[in-house]
Amino acid sequence: MKFADFICREAILAELQAMDKEGAIREMVQALCTAGKVEVEEFESIVKAILKREELGSTGIGRGVAVPHTKHPSVDRLVGSVAISSRGVDFASLDGEVVHLFFLLVSPPDRPGDHLRALENISRQLRDDTFCRFLKQAKTVGDIQQLLNEADNNQFGS
Amino acid sequence: MSETRVTRTVVVTDPAGVHARTAVAIAEVVRRGKSRVTLVKDQEPVAGTDVLQILTMVAHQGETVRLEAVGPDAEAVLGALEPLFAGRFGDEAQKSA
Repeated sequence: MKFADFICREAILAELQAMDKEGAIREMVQALCTAGKVEVEEFESIVKAILKREELGSTGIGRGVAVPHTKHPSVDRLVGSVAISSRGVDFASLDGEVVHLFFLLVSPPDRPGDHLRALENISRQLRDDTFCRFLKQAKTVGDIQQLLNEADNNQFGS
Repeated sequence: MSETRVTRTVVVTDPAGVHARTAVAIAEVVRRGKSRVTLVKDQEPVAGTDVLQILTMVAHQGETVRLEAVGPDAEAVLGALEPLFAGRFGDEAQKSA
């Protein structure tokens, strides 16, 4: 699976305004709403589901990366957004580091395979230090989109 | 305390596969222990401390993962990891491990 298969370009945020976990999640789900990828009336329900998932254990998986996510019956295909915080957000990550890169995923409950393949793609690309560093340094949605495209075209090491 | 090498093969029975929560829980258990743990699927070894590496295994329900631990608490660490592949987390799994 490639980034282009699940990351909505219109929902990419080059600079998160939020300073905390809930704020970051709200901002990213709002971006998916604005992009028309999730229904506006489902906004609160999706945010609550993601926060509930975070209560089970942070999705801050280390190296400055978090993958907040939930299954939600209102979507019929996997949708995702990317956001960058240059300041970093405390996400209670595994390694205690603040999070700079966010990949938020909302998937249909009956498609666990797609969710795993998306996580695999994110993880595989982020294992490449160059991709990770460039993404953290990206300043515009265009920069981010270009990096995701390059990753999809195997232009990074992994 | 002597250093031992223990291997165990587990089948992923969690319907969601080895997802983010599983990967984080695996890394937490391994980081708490004193043994070096490697997970192997399709002959590709990944470090048990690294969530990104664990997620790149893409282990679905029904697939097999080999666990290898080397260190003074190798047996205990693998015992604690096993329930995670069945989707059993939290206090219940940790206490029984």
